[in-house]
Amino acid sequence: MKKTKISFSGVLLPLAFGALVLIIWQTELLHKIIGTNTFTLPLPTTIIRIIGENLDSISANAFDTIEVALIGLVLGSIIGYLISILAAIFPKWGSGGLKVIALLSAIPIIALAPVITNLTKDFSTIAPERSMFAKIVLVTLLSAVSMSVGVYRGLTDLKPFSEDLLQTYAATKFDIFIKLRLPNSVSYIFTALRVSIPTAIISTLIAEYFAEYITGVGRQIRENIITSQYSTAWAYITVACAIGIIAYMFLVLAERLYKKKKHKI
Amino acid sequence: MKLKKILFSSTFITIVWIVLLCSIWELEALHIEQIKRTPEKVFPHLMQIFESIADPKIISNDQTSIELVLTNAYATLERAGIGFLIGALSGFILALLMKFSGIIEKIAFPYLMLIQMIPILGMAPIVFAITQDIGVSRIVISGVLTFYPVAANTLAGLKSVSAENENLFRSYSANVFQTYTKLYIPTSIPFLFTGLKISAPLAITASILVDTLQGGVGLGCLLSQSLKGGMSPFVFWQIIFLSAAIGILSLQVMVIAEKIIMSHKVRWNREKNKNLI
Repeated sequence: MKKTKISFSGVLLPLAFGALVLIIWQTELLHKIIGTNTFTLPLPTTIIRIIGENLDSISANAFDTIEVALIGLVLGSIIGYLISILAAIFPKWGSGGLKVIALLSAIPIIALAPVITNLTKDFSTIAPERSMFAKIVLVTLLSAVSMSVGVYRGLTDLKPFSEDLLQTYAATKFDIFIKLRLPNSVSYIFTALRVSIPTAIISTLIAEYFAEYITGVGRQIRENIITSQYSTAWAYITVACAIGIIAYMFLVLAERLYKKKKHKI
Repeated sequence: MKLKKILFSSTFITIVWIVLLCSIWELEALHIEQIKRTPEKVFPHLMQIFESIADPKIISNDQTSIELVLTNAYATLERAGIGFLIGALSGFILALLMKFSGIIEKIAFPYLMLIQMIPILGMAPIVFAITQDIGVSRIVISGVLTFYPVAANTLAGLKSVSAENENLFRSYSANVFQTYTKLYIPTSIPFLFTGLKISAPLAITASILVDTLQGGVGLGCLLSQSLKGGMSPFVFWQIIFLSAAIGILSLQVMVIAEKIIMSHKVRWNREKNKNLI
């Protein structure tokens, strides 16, 4: 009885708040509060209508963005994981190297994007191809950084005495690595992904701003605002948010499945 | 023995890594130099960039290139700083409110999660369109980006207070104000800094990105101008290096601030314990 009550207020209250915001928005009260007009901040119904009307081009652009973000994320995560394994094998040099990598992650994405675009110009003579390659390189780099720093902690922050225990069993370093460090790092992968999934999407959007070839959700937001087509830009913003939310939901689902499986064992 | 100690100290290792990175850079620059007609545009030598910083040639409005970059950096940093402060403060207050009232937590928590998943940086152009003022939109975006990590981490900190401590305060019949100022807030400070460390570079990235949307002053404006050409290509590289340095420095400032505040806290506790004895 009590449990249903909790979930009732936990779901209903935020929903009511969301509905309230939508109502304020739809009735143009929001426009009065922040001092804007329906031209720059179109009504929710208008945005939905525009998404429906431009479904073809929107889904093509969304596909380009998702493709770049996904390839970059997967490549970067694998590379980052390998780096962290190397760092865990040579902890003295590895932790120093990761410190430098973590410092590099504080570099603004905006500073990186144009450099990589310039560097990868020779990759292909076809503009869409080399532009996509540049975007993927950027996303890969950033995902690799957050994965390597996150997983390194998983490989080295072991439960107290677990390493000593295995040593008393006369386990070799390799055994400790396979049976203790690797399993211990799995839950850290999810933690790292929590950071790198939003980063991958954001960096894809920003890389699109600076890319040579005009495609993708991020670029469309910008292009439509430059040409003052605010309602179309809002349609793309809605899509960008939806991509972010859906990606995150997939992650939460995967994490829950993993925990359930682990619990069973 | 002493030599060995120096060779394996963490500072030495960090320096070796930095030297390694620089040599990779130089190798790539050498490679680019051979295959490109204008290598300084694509990938110059580190030395060339440093030389250009010292270059006294005036390029616009009585300013040398580095003066120009620095004036713009100041404008960017100022707005990022204001946004960062506003965002951090409101994030902290929201976390306190969420701890204080279950209803507020229930309403706000799902939206806090949502903010994290929405690519806010992608929304920079639209915030600019609504506010119509580049300065305000810079502050808004920096603030929003700071808000989430600070609020989420502080809330985690407030929740990490153990039941024993809560019970102790209750048995002392401490009022709400005392419980917050003496128990909840001090416990949440390390968590607050985790949030601040994540958001400081983000706030600067946001400020630079919003700059690129319109002319005026700011690193981002200068960046888009130099990308279009018409300026010495080294202005571009100075911007890249300076923004990287600012990003890294902003993180370091938070680390130092944390150390100062935390050491105060430790010392304060120690003195108090001494008095008790």
